[in-house]
Amino acid sequence: MKQKIRNFIFDELIFVTEPENFSDDDDLLEAGLDSMGIMRLIMYIEEQFGVTLPDSEIDPDNVNSFNALEQWVLQHKS
Amino acid sequence: MSAANTDIIQMLNPSDCFTLAMDEEIRQEKMPGSLCGFALELSGTPDIEALEQRITEFGTRFPLAFASLQQRGKRYFWCQREQEHPLFYQHYNTHKIDEVIFHKETVVRLLNHKQDRETIPPVEFHLISSTVKNTFLMRWIHPFCDARGADLILKYLCTESLDARKRFDLPKLEPLVNTQLAKYKWWQKISLFFKAKRYISKLDNLQSIIHADTSLTPKRLNFNTYTLSLEQTQTINTLARQQVGLTGTSLYYVGCFMRALHKMNPKQAGEAYCTPYAFNLRKNKALSPLLSNHVAPLFAQAPKALLDDKAALLEHLKQQNMQTIREKFDYAFLPVMWAASWLSLEQHGEKLRNSMRTGTERSSFWFSDIGHVDLSNNSFFGSDITKIYHLCQISSPPALAFLSCQFNKQLTFSYNFIEPLFTQKWIESLHKNMLEELLTP
Repeated sequence: MKQKIRNFIFDELIFVTEPENFSDDDDLLEAGLDSMGIMRLIMYIEEQFGVTLPDSEIDPDNVNSFNALEQWVLQHKS
Repeated sequence: MSAANTDIIQMLNPSDCFTLAMDEEIRQEKMPGSLCGFALELSGTPDIEALEQRITEFGTRFPLAFASLQQRGKRYFWCQREQEHPLFYQHYNTHKIDEVIFHKETVVRLLNHKQDRETIPPVEFHLISSTVKNTFLMRWIHPFCDARGADLILKYLCTESLDARKRFDLPKLEPLVNTQLAKYKWWQKISLFFKAKRYISKLDNLQSIIHADTSLTPKRLNFNTYTLSLEQTQTINTLARQQVGLTGTSLYYVGCFMRALHKMNPKQAGEAYCTPYAFNLRKNKALSPLLSNHVAPLFAQAPKALLDDKAALLEHLKQQNMQTIREKFDYAFLPVMWAASWLSLEQHGEKLRNSMRTGTERSSFWFSDIGHVDLSNNSFFGSDITKIYHLCQISSPPALAFLSCQFNKQLTFSYNFIEPLFTQKWIESLHKNMLEELLTP
């Protein structure tokens, strides 16, 4: 799951010089993930992994790293 | 290619053509076309020699800066000129007029400069100098680049290291509109095309509320800028996060601006506030592509009945925005822009935008939020940058644009308006309303 999310973010949303050196704990918001990007990411995750991510939980703590994103998605995966 | 076309450098991409249709629309009003500006106010005089060298280097690296827009058949192309024009100009307060007036009026004059589409330089750099103040203005025509591209050009100019400058515009990329379109099979393109058509028709069911006095003839673009304090900016950022969430900071400005306009005259004719905004196809923080346009239009629309309830309005805008992405309306405009790029400019305008002065203009105002501007060290050739703002010519109606950016943790709003359809006094009242909206929970 994490790899798919990584690919989507680096292919579609943000540019980093060396994606392979971007760790799962590095700050995605600092790296350029903005409000429009977050929406796109959420739609992608919902479609790809069949989860619904509640609006009320769209919070920096849940989207600021790959690890945080994975945790958030797993909480909603039945 | 025929002998007559050997001077062609490159064809305009579908997104460039969209901006060219707006250029045509503005020119039909006897206004200068789609001129845009990015201004930096500086605390002192920059190192002019170094600046001039960097601009020369930019011109060498990006020769499109010297190109001329030419029509060949129905389509437009960037073509070579016989002679290169200067890229850099300096303006001095020789008549010793009031400093503030001198800077403002010089910027206004440059943004209202009328020149044929075929001869106007795609981009120019102006340094406006007086005793205590300097303004650096980059002026360009929209088909040359979009706002993100302009931001990249300024970043390029501000980047000290030659190696770092070499990384700009690399890897060389095809126009992103074409790259995205190439991902679709032909039937998917048709499906998206009709989806966009339905989306436009739905928007057009509600007539936009337009505050401009359209009985008057457009004379010139004017602008007011306001830089908010650190505290005000912090409060607005917090309220935006609370009321619209992490996914819709710009929508907070849109919603507040709609309410600020509504307060100016709640009985203004029309059924809804509507604003177009650009969906940029570049990845964030990417240094390529630098030139041309890589955007598609999207719309935020709110029926008048929602304007009195701020929470309901913001929720509506947020849900609308989410639906736009969920339904892929953002990508749906790409095949429409591609198809329209084969039409004449007039037909392009008719198909993609409602014609001027028909009373059915799709926008109440134009909107752009470029977010945080991140220039290295916040300095410009040795001089501190004190303020950044944007400018753009606008079609009439709506004759009004709200442009925002954040620099040094402070928000700057640039209200662009066409006189006499709007007046300075009216804009000042509008800003008072806007501040109240932004700062009130």
